Amino acid sequence: MPQIQLPVAFRDLASYHEWSLATEGQRSAKRQASTIEDLRSFYAGIMPRMEAVLDFLARLPLQADAEVQALLHIALSLAEIAPAVENYGQPSVIDGYDVARFVAVHE
Amino acid sequence: MATPTPTRGRSWTARYPELGTGPLAVEPYISPAYFELERERIFRKVWLNVGRVEQIPKAGDYFVKDLAICKTSLLVVRGIDGNIRAFHNMCSHRGNQLVWNARGSCRAFTCKFHGWTYALDGKLRQVTDEESFFDLDKDKLGMSPVAVDSWEGFIFVNVDATPAQSLHEYLGDEFTASIAGYPFAALAGNCFSWHTEVNANWKVAHDAFAEIYHIPTLHRRMIGDVYASKANPYAHALEFKIFGRHARVSLSANPERKATAVETLAGRYGDVVLQQVNTDINAFPHGVNPSGYPHWSFDGLAVFPNCLIYVSQGTYLTHIFWPLAEDRCLWEIRTYAPAAQNMAQRFAQEYGKCSFRDTLLEDGSTLERTQAMLMSGVKQEIYLQDQELILRHRLKVAQSYIDA
Repeated sequence: MPQIQLPVAFRDLASYHEWSLATEGQRSAKRQASTIEDLRSFYAGIMPRMEAVLDFLARLPLQADAEVQALLHIALSLAEIAPAVENYGQPSVIDGYDVARFVAVHE
Repeated sequence: MATPTPTRGRSWTARYPELGTGPLAVEPYISPAYFELERERIFRKVWLNVGRVEQIPKAGDYFVKDLAICKTSLLVVRGIDGNIRAFHNMCSHRGNQLVWNARGSCRAFTCKFHGWTYALDGKLRQVTDEESFFDLDKDKLGMSPVAVDSWEGFIFVNVDATPAQSLHEYLGDEFTASIAGYPFAALAGNCFSWHTEVNANWKVAHDAFAEIYHIPTLHRRMIGDVYASKANPYAHALEFKIFGRHARVSLSANPERKATAVETLAGRYGDVVLQQVNTDINAFPHGVNPSGYPHWSFDGLAVFPNCLIYVSQGTYLTHIFWPLAEDRCLWEIRTYAPAAQNMAQRFAQEYGKCSFRDTLLEDGSTLERTQAMLMSGVKQEIYLQDQELILRHRLKVAQSYIDA
């Protein structure tokens, strides 16, 4: 996977480039294919930076350049994996219906 | 004034003695014969919610809605005059399905088979090689119309050639007045939606979202403390109300709930679907949060037969369950919120979406397991408690259509 460019203030998050995924389907598939250790590592790494990330993103409209989109997509991956880390302690929903059978119409 | 509190005990069903309190038969959930009765006497007779007006904002915008339960496919389109019309999605020539894609925008509909072309108002405009036909009267060969109307921006169709009631009569004055003024249109800027085909009777799926009794157990990891609290451990409702064939439940929120770190973060930048305590209770029409509870969560509106609408502060959502067979259904979920104004709000919406979706996945697991065991034929009855009143009511209304 090619290295992505992030806004200057957030270049320290470049190691999470593989989480910069544009769609819910891609982020969900990445979550399901990860181990809980992978997810906890991503969570622990990005959480201390999230307030700065969101304060930055709060000033930007939805249409922004590619570097900002790349940062947003990493943040959206945190939204995707948060229940796995905070509620389930495993990548998938405990005793859950198969997420692959849930067709996202909004994409 | 004393603050109303969630009720204890068995007080709601008693207010509607016609509902009874006994167990209910399993048969309607598993019987092919009952399924056929539902098709003929309910789904082919009543008004059905197929979407929202925002899906087709401009002239020529259309979507296709396959209604397997009515054995047809519908084309819902906004005309040049701005009016929304619905037609059976069928060419008058030899019956081919006219439009094959799920949605789009066009100036006219042209059949892919032989090129017959229809205007947006359904009139047959052009027949390929018309001179070779015999006595063709194009004025009589338009698309076959279907009754369509809208309420609060929700598009309803009725496939009965002569519906017994208008949509407004079907919904009823008291029900429509109760929610009038809720900002359905203003909140429709951003729609997240999913669908899934479930191996369960449509009522098994519907029932799972028409009661709160299951939440402290099934959803204990995700939203176990959103509605339940020390004072209200079983998440009893604030109020139930029946409006003829429709019904409403109003729910409190637990003000002492501990949000997770990411939810707390998200909540600072935007509304999180269904997980918040709503305190701006004066912002709503009288029929929303009807008991005026200071820590209100959401109201669930059960629109007979197959639609649930949950209204909350800053967001609402719908569940629609389409019967496919006695043991299969299509479950459609749509969440609505204003379009995000910035990227941090977009993050908040994404957290709300993902945590809501995961909660639905918890629900989803019960549906096929329940259906499989009901189909075993081992037990002939199911047992409902007071807080499952909406299930009892819906079955009663359905039976009244079937017995009519």
